[in-house]
Amino acid sequence: MTEERRIDEHVGELLSGFVDGELTQQEQQRVQLHCENCKACDSSLHEIRALREKIGRSQLSALGQDEWRETMSDTAVKKSYGIGWLLILGGAVLAGAAGLYEVFTEPTTLTQVEKLIIGGLYGGMLLLFVSVLRQRLIERKTDKYKDVEI
Amino acid sequence: MLTQSKEIRHELVSLGSGAHALAIQIMGNSDDAADAVHDALTTVLERPQAYAAEKGALKPWFLRLVRNRCIDLLRRRRPADLPADELTDAGPGPEKAAEIADRDRVLKLALAAISPDQRQIVVLRDYMDLSYGEIAEVLDVAPGTVMSRLHRSRVALAVAYRKYDD
Repeated sequence: MTEERRIDEHVGELLSGFVDGELTQQEQQRVQLHCENCKACDSSLHEIRALREKIGRSQLSALGQDEWRETMSDTAVKKSYGIGWLLILGGAVLAGAAGLYEVFTEPTTLTQVEKLIIGGLYGGMLLLFVSVLRQRLIERKTDKYKDVEI
Repeated sequence: MLTQSKEIRHELVSLGSGAHALAIQIMGNSDDAADAVHDALTTVLERPQAYAAEKGALKPWFLRLVRNRCIDLLRRRRPADLPADELTDAGPGPEKAAEIADRDRVLKLALAAISPDQRQIVVLRDYMDLSYGEIAEVLDVAPGTVMSRLHRSRVALAVAYRKYDD
C-alpha cells in the first residue's frame, strides 16, 4: 500500500473539509468520531493542519502593499501620460485642419504662391506622419524584442 | 463612483501580494509573476467597469484575471521546467532572504514536486484563505469538486514534504 493511499483512505477528503470548516455539522461529527478511533486519519488530520500552518507562515511573495501601491500609481501615471499625448495630438490635428480649411475657403489676403507654400508645409507634415506611423506599425508586427521590458 | 474606485484601488493593493504568490506558482518565478499581476492591475485600472460588483466579490474575480493572464503569458513564452527555488519569494536583503530561504526550504522543494494545478489550489486555500466557493470561481471549476481536488493536492504535498524533510 502506498503512502498516498494510506493517508487518503477512511474519511478521505472530509479531513480537508473538516480542517477548513466547510463541512455540515453531521459530517463534522462523523470525522471527529472517526478520528477518535482511527490513528491513521487522526495523524493525517494533524499533518494537514501542520502543513496549512507552515504555508500560512511562509513567504510566497516578497512584494508588500507599498510595492503594489507604487505599481498602481505607476500604472495611473502611464495612463494619464497616454491620454495627455492623445489630447495634444488630437488638438493639433483639429487646429491644423481648421487652419487649412480657412486658408483655402475663406477670402484672405494670401497670394496663390503663399497658399501653395502653406499647402506644401501641411502636405509634408502629413506625409512624414504617415511614413513614421507606417514604420512603427511594421516594427510592432516584426520586432522580436517587443516583449522585452527595459 | 469615485469612492467605489478608491475602494477598489485599496482592495487591489491588499490583494497584490497574494495575487503575486499565486502567479509565482503558475509562472515559476517572481519577475514573470509580477509582470502578470501588473498587467491584471492595468486592465482593472483602465477598465474598472469590467468588474461588476453584483456578480461577486472583487478578490476571486481579480485572482481569476491574474491566473488567466499567467496562462496567456505561459502560452507565449513556453518556459522550461520550473526551478524549485523560485516558488517562494525571499525578496531583497541577503540576511533576511537567507533566514526566510532556510525556513521555507523544505516547503519550496515540496511545492516544486507537485503540479502547478495542485500548487494553485493549496496556495489559494492555505496561503490566501479563500473559501471553497471563491476557489471554484478563481479556478473555474465546479464548487463540488474543490474539496476533493484540494485534499488530493494536500496529500501530494504532505508526501513530498515528508520526503524532503527526512
